[in-house]
Amino acid sequence: MSKLPKKTEETSFKRKSLWFKNKITPYGFLSPALLILGGVLLFPLIYSFFLSFHEWNMASGEAMKFTFLDNYIKLFKSESFWHSVQLQLIFVGVSVSIELIIGMAVALFLNKDFFADKIVRALLLLPAFILPVVSGLAFRFMYNPQYGAINWFVQKLGFAPIPFLSHPRLAFVAIVIQDVWRMWPFMFMIMYASISTFPKAPYEAAEIAGANRWQIFKHITLPLLKPSIVIAVILRVLNALKAFSEIYVMTNGGPGNSTTILSLFIYKNAFDFYDMGFSASVSYILVIIALVFSIFLVKRQFDF
Amino acid sequence: MLKKKNIALTLVLFLFIGSFLIVNSSSIKANEKYEDTEIRVLVWRDAHSKAVKEKVHEFEEKTGIDVIIDDLPTQSLTQKMAMNLTSETGKYDIVAVDEPYVPKFASYFINYSEWPQPKVLADKVDLNVVPQGAVDAGSWQNNVKGLPINANVYMFTYRKDLINDTDLQNKFKEEYGYELQGPKDLDQLYEIGKFLYNEKDQFYGWAPFTVKSEGATVEFMWLLRSFGTKIMNDDLEVVLDVDKAVEALAYYNKLLEISPPSKLSMGHPETIQNMESGNLFSTLQWPAIIAGHENPENSVAAGKLAYSANPAGPGGAAAITGVWTLAIPEASKNKQAAAEFAYWWGSKDSGKELVKAGMSPMRKDLLEDPELQKRYPWYQALMENLSGDIAVHRPRFPEYPKVSDEISTYFSRVISGSMEAEAAMEEMKEKIENIVKEYKNE
Repeated sequence: MSKLPKKTEETSFKRKSLWFKNKITPYGFLSPALLILGGVLLFPLIYSFFLSFHEWNMASGEAMKFTFLDNYIKLFKSESFWHSVQLQLIFVGVSVSIELIIGMAVALFLNKDFFADKIVRALLLLPAFILPVVSGLAFRFMYNPQYGAINWFVQKLGFAPIPFLSHPRLAFVAIVIQDVWRMWPFMFMIMYASISTFPKAPYEAAEIAGANRWQIFKHITLPLLKPSIVIAVILRVLNALKAFSEIYVMTNGGPGNSTTILSLFIYKNAFDFYDMGFSASVSYILVIIALVFSIFLVKRQFDF
Repeated sequence: MLKKKNIALTLVLFLFIGSFLIVNSSSIKANEKYEDTEIRVLVWRDAHSKAVKEKVHEFEEKTGIDVIIDDLPTQSLTQKMAMNLTSETGKYDIVAVDEPYVPKFASYFINYSEWPQPKVLADKVDLNVVPQGAVDAGSWQNNVKGLPINANVYMFTYRKDLINDTDLQNKFKEEYGYELQGPKDLDQLYEIGKFLYNEKDQFYGWAPFTVKSEGATVEFMWLLRSFGTKIMNDDLEVVLDVDKAVEALAYYNKLLEISPPSKLSMGHPETIQNMESGNLFSTLQWPAIIAGHENPENSVAAGKLAYSANPAGPGGAAAITGVWTLAIPEASKNKQAAAEFAYWWGSKDSGKELVKAGMSPMRKDLLEDPELQKRYPWYQALMENLSGDIAVHRPRFPEYPKVSDEISTYFSRVISGSMEAEAAMEEMKEKIENIVKEYKNE
């Protein structure tokens, strides 16, 4: 009789130790990663949100002042901000669409065996591995009307050199071309990975039924590709929303403000004017744009 | 006789004691080397700072101070400086500040008058040896905030070999009715540039600075002052004369007609490329870059260039300054050693050595040295451009970066043809007035 409580105690201790092992230990292992994640992701996110409600010029030496929504009101009244939003949306819309079309077309075209197919496919991916700043600098020189490779071709064709980075509209086209060149292989990579796993049966059935190529693409390939398209577009849109270094080195937002997309607008306010509160509020608008895009596209994906 | 002997003896005694004291005091200085002292220096990156990095071991040997130099491109330097100053880390013991940023960060620096006397080196640098324009550039609210170290000013640079060519001289006189010479005014600059411009041979009369940056702002300010107007006065009133600004822009468009094809997106790399490959007659250039133009290993224009005070416009001659000042942050923990380093950099003796390594000096005694002037022919023009009449400082105003951004944006809009000059100038003026108003309300 007297042994029973002892056993219960032992069992209870074992239970507690098991509970600790199962419930707490995993968090112990996870904690370094959680701490790092908190430090580099959560803290800046929360701090910049806090900052966006304050007026703080970092170089003035004055303490930050709580101004609640003043920064947001100021930016919504700012013509330059709306101009940057407009440019950002056009930049993302145009470049991601072109990249998707080229990536998908090339993936469909190369989805067969041919001589050195693996080498060709690997080489096509190269631009995606080039750093944006390097690509931007290379394009800046290639666009140069005097020494640039692109204008050398233009002149060989008998035309006058084109001052790509000097004209407001051309400069915008020039940054889109750079982005498309560098990032279409990313779309290709995802599309090709998806296409190469498609089952053959639906295609054989369609052929027997007498469907033409367009019908096969529209009714079989595209629906099968949709989940991959959504993922690829989400990743690319998020990436294009934070495009910065390549445009900074190519045009620095010029001529005028014709290529000052949101990331450059944020940078200018934060690191040229040291207006940290205001630029934090613009950053949050960029975060909201990214969230709206992602939620919309993810919701669409669940509909499939 | 005895009296004379006594006087002689007294004199000898004084001489002896005096010599003993002098020798003794210098030996004290030599023995007062620093121990375990390290300073961190943040400077801009060009031929000037490269020369200092090359010769800094001499300072280290002399003083026992270890120097770590971080050199960065101007914009990155300013950002890094801002982060360190405002967070008062004291990481940097001495920083180089570009002229337009002196007002913005002035409160973080100790005044030059409060800099400590040197412990090892002979003397503190006397600011009288620095051209007044450079001292003004390093000052804010009647205080000199550091030691101006780079008497930097935009200088007119042109090909003298073409001006001296007899065939060209004859042809020019026939066409324009006056002697071919180094342009004295803006009309001559355009006419000579136009005369030498040859699109087929890719030879251009003028290299503009138009890529959206501080460089474009500086170019426009030079232009405005040459046409007799400016953005704002010392009382922070926006005083831009729109008519004069429009006239200046019309003239600039003429210069663009004789410029290289990349004329609307030109910055330093494009100008250097054109000048050093012999495709260019003239431009405005900074002294540190000129050293490269005169290097025969890289430049076909080496030895063919002349330098003069900037050609005068209807409003006179103007030259924008870009003086770098060495400043000691309040948060520095090694102010004494930091000051010692600045005195070494600014001294005449080390200056002579640094000049050989590519430094562009700020001392008048170096700039006026006949031997150095012979070797570095732009020194004279540099002195002229730094004189009170010609030197133009950018607005002394903590919110200057915002003003500069508006100026480069509207300048770019006009020259790229996306906006009419008058409308652009009116709009720019209004925006700058708003920036000033906002600043004053604060």
